[in-house]
Amino acid sequence: MKKIIGLAVSSGIAIGYAKLVRKEKLLIKRKTIQNHEIEEELLRFETSVNQVVKDIDILIEDLSHSKVNKEILTTHKMILHDPEFSIKITKLISNELYSLENAINEHFSSLVELFNNMNNEYFSLRSQDYQDVADRLLAHLLKQEKDYFEKLDENSILILENITPSEVTKAFEKKIKGFCTEKGSKNSHSSIIARSMNLPSVSGISKILSIIKEDQLIIIDGSKGLLIITPDEKTLKEYRELFQKEEDEKNKLQKLKNIESRTKDGKRILLMCNIEIPEELEQVLKYKSDGIGLFRTEFLFIGRSELPYENEQYEIYKKIAESCAPKPVIIRTIDVGGDKLSKILNIEHEENPNLGCRGIRISLENIPVFKTQIRAILRANSKANVKIMFPMISSVDEVKKAKEIIEICKNELEKEKITFNPEIEIGAMIEIPSAALTSDSIAEECDFLSIGTNDLIQYTLAVDRDNQTVASYYQPNHPAVIKLMKTTIINAHRKGAKVAICGEMASEPEFIPILIGLGIDELSVSPGKIFLVKNEILKCDLPKSAKEVETKYNLKE
Amino acid sequence: MIRKTIVIVNTLGMHARPATMIVKAATKYRSDFRLIKGDTEINGKSIMGVMTLAAEFGSELELVADGVDEEFLINEISELFASKFGEE
Repeated sequence: MKKIIGLAVSSGIAIGYAKLVRKEKLLIKRKTIQNHEIEEELLRFETSVNQVVKDIDILIEDLSHSKVNKEILTTHKMILHDPEFSIKITKLISNELYSLENAINEHFSSLVELFNNMNNEYFSLRSQDYQDVADRLLAHLLKQEKDYFEKLDENSILILENITPSEVTKAFEKKIKGFCTEKGSKNSHSSIIARSMNLPSVSGISKILSIIKEDQLIIIDGSKGLLIITPDEKTLKEYRELFQKEEDEKNKLQKLKNIESRTKDGKRILLMCNIEIPEELEQVLKYKSDGIGLFRTEFLFIGRSELPYENEQYEIYKKIAESCAPKPVIIRTIDVGGDKLSKILNIEHEENPNLGCRGIRISLENIPVFKTQIRAILRANSKANVKIMFPMISSVDEVKKAKEIIEICKNELEKEKITFNPEIEIGAMIEIPSAALTSDSIAEECDFLSIGTNDLIQYTLAVDRDNQTVASYYQPNHPAVIKLMKTTIINAHRKGAKVAICGEMASEPEFIPILIGLGIDELSVSPGKIFLVKNEILKCDLPKSAKEVETKYNLKE
Repeated sequence: MIRKTIVIVNTLGMHARPATMIVKAATKYRSDFRLIKGDTEINGKSIMGVMTLAAEFGSELELVADGVDEEFLINEISELFASKFGEE
């Protein structure tokens, strides 16, 4: 038996047999081919080009609004249909025995270099088109390689160096017990998906592919970040019992799927999901949540070298909104610190990014970027279920400024004769104490408020919860935090605005009675926590909780 | 076979859009179509070829068409150049 501590990525227990997947080796193996494989390789070339052309055609059809994008895509199609392209690839495969992937790589990198070296800037920019087409083709071909997931079944624990988000989904469809990787972090897209699918996972195990052997019995304890290889009888028995207990609990909770989230005395509390990436949509629908209470849009901006186009954003927002309709989808405008956007925006280095240009401040500093996002959101609201939410509001002034921008965008769209829905609800995040204290005037300008507890706690108590030394000062139920929330709720209700909670506090069972007792209307949590939270709501008695909170925190008005 | 010399008159030169238009037009015909600029000769039905020519404003190009419909091909392509690809 061997125990290794890694990174706790996604909680839950998995007991199963190791299935090792070595992705990189497969790719390297394919650099050259044998004589007898030429014909097959050429056929693969033809089918992949046809498929990618088909994909582009679909994209072109969807892009009925944007002439420019359409033209670019038409050029891309032409690149794929280019007779010289086909001749060159055929030559590389038949004469030089290059694998298709290698041939494509070779052909396009020489073209990209050629264009890059041109003196005229316009022509040198064309290299991007060729890079794009190469990426499209390779992405398509590499996807086909993924049949190495074929060996997975419902007893498997997938072991691999790293995993992409689409691979997590694919492995999940194979009903695997869990997965374990060498590389990865808690906030990677793959980890986010694993959590929303309740798929146990541990990351950060070095040399994972050499310490685990195919078909070895292993245990993953996802909440501890623990990996156990070939457990002894005693450990195995312990974990089997633990697993059974978790399963029973899960099954009990699963039964809540079709029950509405109401307190014992009948108050309906909307239970919605926070999502970070579009891939989580499936879970949102599967768990029958009441909509999306927080759609974070940061994934569109982080780790990129150029800003996302309006159409790209529009397509994503539209898809999410239409799939959820008529349930609401609250899209939060970009909420990152400038440090994360330094690649694409011209932002000065900040000593203290947490108190710097972030959230709505970044949007108001970069109006064109903000407008692009607002326009995309307005256009995506064809089913009238989309709402806009602004992060990091510190006073009503920012809300007013942001609303002005919305009006400008509406006018522009109207002038350009682009279809959009002018009726859209607007909300503000309450996550800075000053916003909570002035929530009466903020609520005046808004249709709803959403309390972001993570930041509200951090800014009220002046504590960074990721700093281990001061972590004990991070108390979600600190009287100061509770009082700020109460103030917000009272002010909002007076102005007829609803209040939601979208921080992590909303998914911790011990705090649910407090939040309900304070009078909140909606809770928004990670998809994986939906049933856990619903269970707590169903147990709650509003008048009783309200009284308890009032007494405990001395909230009598 | 028909040969015809033209001068690029649109200010932006033969960038992606004109290149796309030329290839699109040429591909409709059965004749071979080649473009010559200085020492470089490329297949006029290849977007890659046309774009690598990097023909800028004022440069001289020779159009060569060979086949049953060569006349129609040359005519349509010449018109495209003359119309400055609808740019100005």
